[in-house]
Amino acid sequence: MEFAFPEYNLRLMAPEIFLFLWALLIIAYDVLTKRKSETTAGYLALAGLMITGLILGFTGTGHGFGNMFVSDTAAKFFKIIFLGSAFMAIGSSFGIMREKIVNHRGEFYGLILFSTVGMMFLSSSNELLSLYIGLELTTIPLFVLAAFFKDDKLSVEAGIKYFIVGAFSSALLLYGISFLYGLSGTTDLVQMKINIAITHLTFQNIGVILILAIVLVVAGIGFKLSLPPFHQWVPDVYQGSPTPVAAFLSVGSKAAGLIAFAKIFVNGLFAFHHPDMAPNDWGRLVALLAVAAMILGNTVAIRQTNIKRMLGYSSIAQVGYIMIGIVAMNALGMAAMGFYIFAYMFANMGAFAAVAIVEDKTGSCEISTYSGLARTSPLLSATFAVFLLSLAGIPPLAGFMAKFYIFAAGIQAAQHDPGLYWMYWLVGIALLTTVFAIYYYANIIKQMYFAKEPSPHKVTYNFPALTVLLIGLAGLFVFGIYPEPVLHFASGIASSFGIIP
Amino acid sequence: MWEIVIISSIKVLLVVVAILTGCAYATYMERKVLGHMQHRIGPLYAGPYGLLQPVADGLKLIFKEDIVPDNVERTTYALAPLLAFVPSLLTFAVVPFAADVDMFGYRITGVISDLNIGILWVFAVTSLGVYGLVLAGWSSGSKYSMLGAIRSSAQMISYEVAYGLSIIGVILIANTFSLREIVEQQASITDWFVFRQPLGFLLFITCAIAETNRAPFDLPEAESELVAGYHTEYSSMRFSTFFISEYANMIAVSSVATTLFFGGWQGPLLPPILWFCIKVFLFMFLYIWLRATFPRFRYDQLMAFGWKVLFPLALLNTIVTAGLVMLTDWL
Amino acid sequence: MTDGSQVGVIFWFLSFVILISGFMVVSLKNIFYCALFLVLCLFSVAGIFILLEAEFLAAAQVLIYVGAVAILMIFAIMLTTDMASKEITQTNENVTVGVFVSVIFAISTILLIDKTSVWRYQDHDFSEGVTVTLGKLLMTKFMLPFELVSVLLLAAMIGAIVLARKERS
Repeated sequence: MEFAFPEYNLRLMAPEIFLFLWALLIIAYDVLTKRKSETTAGYLALAGLMITGLILGFTGTGHGFGNMFVSDTAAKFFKIIFLGSAFMAIGSSFGIMREKIVNHRGEFYGLILFSTVGMMFLSSSNELLSLYIGLELTTIPLFVLAAFFKDDKLSVEAGIKYFIVGAFSSALLLYGISFLYGLSGTTDLVQMKINIAITHLTFQNIGVILILAIVLVVAGIGFKLSLPPFHQWVPDVYQGSPTPVAAFLSVGSKAAGLIAFAKIFVNGLFAFHHPDMAPNDWGRLVALLAVAAMILGNTVAIRQTNIKRMLGYSSIAQVGYIMIGIVAMNALGMAAMGFYIFAYMFANMGAFAAVAIVEDKTGSCEISTYSGLARTSPLLSATFAVFLLSLAGIPPLAGFMAKFYIFAAGIQAAQHDPGLYWMYWLVGIALLTTVFAIYYYANIIKQMYFAKEPSPHKVTYNFPALTVLLIGLAGLFVFGIYPEPVLHFASGIASSFGIIP
Repeated sequence: MWEIVIISSIKVLLVVVAILTGCAYATYMERKVLGHMQHRIGPLYAGPYGLLQPVADGLKLIFKEDIVPDNVERTTYALAPLLAFVPSLLTFAVVPFAADVDMFGYRITGVISDLNIGILWVFAVTSLGVYGLVLAGWSSGSKYSMLGAIRSSAQMISYEVAYGLSIIGVILIANTFSLREIVEQQASITDWFVFRQPLGFLLFITCAIAETNRAPFDLPEAESELVAGYHTEYSSMRFSTFFISEYANMIAVSSVATTLFFGGWQGPLLPPILWFCIKVFLFMFLYIWLRATFPRFRYDQLMAFGWKVLFPLALLNTIVTAGLVMLTDWL
Repeated sequence: MTDGSQVGVIFWFLSFVILISGFMVVSLKNIFYCALFLVLCLFSVAGIFILLEAEFLAAAQVLIYVGAVAILMIFAIMLTTDMASKEITQTNENVTVGVFVSVIFAISTILLIDKTSVWRYQDHDFSEGVTVTLGKLLMTKFMLPFELVSVLLLAAMIGAIVLARKERS
């Protein structure tokens, strides 16, 4: 039997392999020690993520497995975000570990790490098959994690809802991918870019079928990104899932959807972005969805009484802002997208960590619980307020810089190309909706600080959750005042996708 | 074109008739052999040595009243025996039972259809057999039938994994899925795969007995607890269809075992088809022998044995065989 | 051996069975029958694979989907005795909208595919047989996704055990 093995370059895959083995180790450890320790599995998971981060730092760039696995700036940047959000999600999970998850601590952490491994493979895949499988590896553990409180009806509802929506969106995505394959005859993204362009130039009539493919892929990934009209699952799933899982869903899973989106559209369908390519111009379609996300997310969030549902709608709106960076399709837009998700990670994971701390104490996620919290728990209230202000985009926090770069990218694209004049409108709507956003974020701060009665609850911190709060706080201030290093790193994303500055 | 159709039809007809006769006489053989093993005589009165007993049994079953209980799901109830019966016959489509012969100026192959995915066909068809049982158990509307069906499906699913894995060793060595080529590679007795895959063979035959729901794995119809399992509510011809399909399954498994591990129709002096029949006959004897020897497993033992013993062993066998094949290629 | 028209007839017949049985799966009220029609649907898909001369895929389809996945579903239905005989309606008040959207989507998809004549595919050397080529590709070019699937299955298995296991208190 003759085999032509491709060049593996396994060392490029070292972080993923290590994390996978570490996840198995945690599960085995927890089973073998008869699940006696409440915290060891959690600390092991945190250590594993840190070591993986270190290994990632020493991993070079290049291709492996033929051309299937790629380690470039975009992949590395997003891997840092995945590892970071997993770290902060696990850090904020020690409270629920004590009482609610007694029998499956190892599996809880193991599944989070599996999901992270899936995200990392996804961000390194250079090809539709492994991209799809990476996406599945990301979501399947999350179905289970969402339903992890088996006796809690809301949690089971969240799990089932997420599972059905996830399976359905996977089917749509796969159907779209099959059309892309049919048009290009390859699953390799770079080759696909060339082949589809050639097919388009040779037979002018592929436009219509490409629309179908684009719509299906947008719908498939739109579910993961929670872009309207594919967002309906978000509030219910966030509300029902364990809070750390909801946090991980809102950042890690979303970043994974984002990189998948960028890989297929920015990289693979590069040539079909511009309005000149009508009717198969995906730019305007995505811009429309982004507008819907910003308006819907920010307005519906105002009426929520449950903080996790509110953060869910807020995350829908945040994705709308991020999509502006992708639609802009210029070097600044890609960098801004990276910076935005980076800042969003600190703010959102921090906010969820604060919610988790309050929930551990009070058992409630209602916004009314936060009334008067500033007088009994000043540290928590102050940090939570900072996270919310960053999500709203108030200077000098990182969230402000992120929004600033995103809007700048949008305007730059519009100035650069008269065909993209509608980008002005997009940025205008984004600015307008930011005002709404400030209203509901500020409402919680008002509840905490300006209530007449002091809160009957005084929260207690455990060490890892406190660390997460402080990491979030530090990240927002440091990168809000001094964003250059991250922005510089993120500017490499553009060249990874073949956009020359 | 037409010659092929005619030749194939004749082959199909011959094989089906042979299998049905074989099934009938397998029941006779079972009763006779079991009888002698238990110091009894077995059937004696119908014909010389009781040889007409199967005919008498068949006639009796045909003339019995076909009782259909009130609360059955009629469509599936009627469909179930057929679904159990057809897959057991389909297996023979790919089993080579003789060498090729030249006759009337045509080359006639000793197999109905030499698919290049022969082994997979066998396993795909075997996996269909469970539907007949499940449908029978569910549509009968009786708790004994239902329990029998649940047991049998759980058992068949569990053992199918190890069953499939056990023959991967043979495929790896033979480097083909075609049963015909596998037989051709076992020309002399030293080439028989049973000697190259001893563990594989033991696993195969163990799982095969479980797949056909025979003693000591006959829990689906454990008469002391479940009356008769999934076919409790069936009578007359419908019952006998289940009965025949069980024996047809045994013959099918014996034929596959012969083909994969014992050289199929290969053998000296005697004509190939006779060698094939002798080998299959010995396997049928083994079946009956095991039934007379071993007590029935307990349900948890059965599951533990399947998943914790057979499955890891089958994996081990696969890995070791793959390693050895790689090594011989490399040397 | 078979000419185009025969293949065409078989194709239409299989497609008809697939569509009808697929429709039955989503419309029948007894979940057990739904599962049985799903089996029929999957089985017919195997037939389509045979028409495409992909015998290995057909056998794998029957082995995995008909022989394992569907039977596990039926097994689960039988174990939850409440479900096996209960009549469950599969539609809700959104059924009209759903049907409308599906029909529009189906018609537009069919029209679009019908109008497109530029399909391309990857050419591989099939001289050694489809199965051998498939195996070689999985072990060389597509090794990464192939290996990733095993990680995926492991994660799914652990997740399923977590969800299905009875809790000790």
